[in-house]
Amino acid sequence: MVDASRHPKVDVRTFTEVERVEGFVGNFKVQLREKSRFVYEDRCNGCGECAEVCPIEVPNYFELSLAPRRAIDVPMSQSVPLVYNVDMDSCIECYKCVEACGELDAIDFSMEDEFVWEDVGSIVVATGFDHFDPTAMSEYGYGRFPNVITAIEMERLNNSAGPTAGELIRPSDGEIPERLAIINCVGSRDKRFNPSCSNFCCMYSIKNAVLLKQTYPDIDLSVYYMDIRTPSKGYEEFYNRAREMGIRFIQGRPGLITEDPDTGNLYVESEDRDLGRVTEREYDMVMLNQAAVPQPDVDSISSVLNIAQSPGGWFMEYHPKLRPLDTPTDGVFLAGACQGPKDIPSSVAQGSGAAARAGRVVHADEWEIEPVIAAVWEDRCISAQGKKCGLCERACPYGAIEYEEGKAPNIVTAKCHGCGGCVAECPQNAMTQMHFTDAQILAQMQTLLADKPEEKILAFRCHWCSYGGADLAGVSHFEYSSNERGLRVMCSARMDADFIYEAFRLGAGAVLFSGCHEQDCHYITGQRVGAHRAKRLLRRFERMGMTPGRFRVEWISAAEGEKYARVINEMQEVLDSIPREELLEEIEELRPDMARRARRMREVPQIEEASDFAEEIAEAHRAREPEAV
Amino acid sequence: MADHSSQAQTFADQVRAIPGGEHLERCYSCGTCVSKCMIQQKVEPEYNPRRLLRMVMMDMREEAFESPTTWLCSACDLCYPACPQEIHISEVIGAVKQLAVEAGYESPLETVSVDESLCSGCGICVMTCPYEAPHLVEKELDGVMDRLSEVDANKCMGCGICVAACPMGAIARPGVANEDIRAQLDAPRRNGAPRMVTFVCDWCLRADADVTLLESYPENVQVVHIPCTGRIDPEMALMALGSDIDGVLVCGCAPGECHYQRGTVVSSCKIGLLNRALDQMNMGDGRVRFVQIGTQDRGRIRSEVDAMMEHLVSWKEAE
Repeated sequence: MVDASRHPKVDVRTFTEVERVEGFVGNFKVQLREKSRFVYEDRCNGCGECAEVCPIEVPNYFELSLAPRRAIDVPMSQSVPLVYNVDMDSCIECYKCVEACGELDAIDFSMEDEFVWEDVGSIVVATGFDHFDPTAMSEYGYGRFPNVITAIEMERLNNSAGPTAGELIRPSDGEIPERLAIINCVGSRDKRFNPSCSNFCCMYSIKNAVLLKQTYPDIDLSVYYMDIRTPSKGYEEFYNRAREMGIRFIQGRPGLITEDPDTGNLYVESEDRDLGRVTEREYDMVMLNQAAVPQPDVDSISSVLNIAQSPGGWFMEYHPKLRPLDTPTDGVFLAGACQGPKDIPSSVAQGSGAAARAGRVVHADEWEIEPVIAAVWEDRCISAQGKKCGLCERACPYGAIEYEEGKAPNIVTAKCHGCGGCVAECPQNAMTQMHFTDAQILAQMQTLLADKPEEKILAFRCHWCSYGGADLAGVSHFEYSSNERGLRVMCSARMDADFIYEAFRLGAGAVLFSGCHEQDCHYITGQRVGAHRAKRLLRRFERMGMTPGRFRVEWISAAEGEKYARVINEMQEVLDSIPREELLEEIEELRPDMARRARRMREVPQIEEASDFAEEIAEAHRAREPEAV
Repeated sequence: MADHSSQAQTFADQVRAIPGGEHLERCYSCGTCVSKCMIQQKVEPEYNPRRLLRMVMMDMREEAFESPTTWLCSACDLCYPACPQEIHISEVIGAVKQLAVEAGYESPLETVSVDESLCSGCGICVMTCPYEAPHLVEKELDGVMDRLSEVDANKCMGCGICVAACPMGAIARPGVANEDIRAQLDAPRRNGAPRMVTFVCDWCLRADADVTLLESYPENVQVVHIPCTGRIDPEMALMALGSDIDGVLVCGCAPGECHYQRGTVVSSCKIGLLNRALDQMNMGDGRVRFVQIGTQDRGRIRSEVDAMMEHLVSWKEAE
């Protein structure tokens, strides 16, 4: 940290928050709030005389309230920069510190937060993780029994710069504990709090146990665990070393801790699975190895940076295997535990990787993006004609559309990822997506439904999930109806209501609307846009009197080949269950309504050409048909 | 009722098919349920819910049906809120028990019995039972058709809540009849110190040290063990106060921790009413006290007994 702060090309801003981010990859503008310390950074020399005279003592948050701090103090002795700050919540403004500072004149109570704008090329998010508060787990009595402490409190007690100068003492009476229990998985692998494994705590508990055993060789140390997970190089060896040192590992998750009110000693009740019976053991102190949880302010960070969160609140990577350092927003990268709990080696590796990826952006003169971006036909846009709209802006998960009333929207090309949500949402069909134009998709539909459309199941698949699901069904040899006709778009957000109406107008027997599961969406919130539209369509078709099951909405991941095959087969069963004459009758009955609803699509440029082209292909196809039979 | 006899179904499928039997497969054998369980602690060291779940998963039907775990669970649900996999263990055990009963196995527990010549068929027992064990049936008694209470021995957990509730005294549980309790209220007076009787339920004192402590009190502190405070009949307290005993302390489980689900709810209502009645008769003065001791309240019984004794001493002085 000190090295970084001294580096001529590194600018460390501590006590600073990112308020706003504008712009796009390579050209971000970031607004920073430099919080007021009430002490001038350039004048304070860190002598500490102000703290000495300060009469106010409050709990020190860095020491987890195990030690006091003055109202004017440094958070910790290794703070960078070593500048004192005033905790205004506790300061009584007696100005003794100002007197003590004297000539330096570094303290200024009139200081205010400053807002600055910075130009940056790329952003690396490394906001880390927080610790689960075990107070919620009443069975362990944290907060009620003074000798039950958390792993982080232990970290401070066992630190030579900590409040006890590295001496492990128990809070109730200051004695050095002779018997200590460490309980793992407190709040992790627990459906009540955090269902996932916190990744590093097994090793962390072993590390703590080994350190304590080295300092206090006579200590009786037990580690309660469900499973010890040592999946990296050298980890299992370290675990073995800990056992050889005499640290006791007990397989069993304690169900209850009780306290002897006279001695403050704790009784840990747990099943010892190796013994096959419940044991109640007495300890002087218990350490809870609590789960890693996302920082409490992840929501505001993800909205400022426009990055998504995985279930559980960790920041979501662009792709779990292929792009684990990137976010869906180009130029924003992830490093360390903010993306998911991880230990130090993994965090360092990811940090180095993220720095390299960020460097690529900073050093590039040009940036290549996918060609499937959106474009606007200004002459069709009603906003350009002075009417109120802005639907495209609302549909965009990336903030790539700059909308101003009375003007056609401006698409920031570098920000557009090509989901096509805006294109499908536009009621005027004033937008298009390169390589996925309405005309191109219409041409595909016409070709796919050219022959006996009432027998066909037209399946709209999103590129990232349901298309992969269909692919997997194929390579896994899961049989499904040969009447299925697949049509790929980038995202379910691109599945325009017009397409569905048009498919039914063309006489399709059934239509499948499929995409990613909500949490898997490749375009942050694209699926939600599509799902909302699909729900509306389902209701509309129900009102129109369509046989249920002819229009179906399913979310199918790339791993669900079996589901894709099953859905198509079920749709085939629906079609088989309707007598052919009735089906044709229903199609005819609904056709005028469908045509009316899809009419705007016919006004889109190039649509006629596409129609003609599709007709040509269908013609050629029909001509070949007898030979094929 | 669902058909559990199909050969194609595994034991686990059959258990899952019964409402409450779901989520078996979530269990990763952490042992939290066992370490929380009072039955394992007090009655049967072999009692082990996670192992029963394992037996179900491994298709060990007969062993599961014979396991004490199947029969002893009283659904106190101490384990359920602690289970990290959110398995409603008592309901899974209930599902296994249902299958065991269907397969002809019988509960080994000592249960209550109904004296049909006294039963008036009022149905109060049906209302109070936490386990739906008693029900009313049409029966011929001495040549006359009558509506009588009958207890399903496979459902009864022997808490005695119905025994205390029956207005006719028609239900009995061996060992805890009113006469048995009266026989225990014979504490001799020692050099003028107040006499008190402590009714303590079998489950609220988790730590062995607390049980031992209670036994170590001098003779003027009489301890009477009852299966559940739900078994407390206000008559018992009156009996005690009537037989020259100065105070009555009733100890039950903490709210939400009652071993028989709602025994403490019933008893707290009863003792509340009793105290009101005593106050109206000017006999109150806090001589009957109800305390609820939780699983984590190690050592609390001592302070409660001491506090009660202190109160009785000052009350006696004022007398």
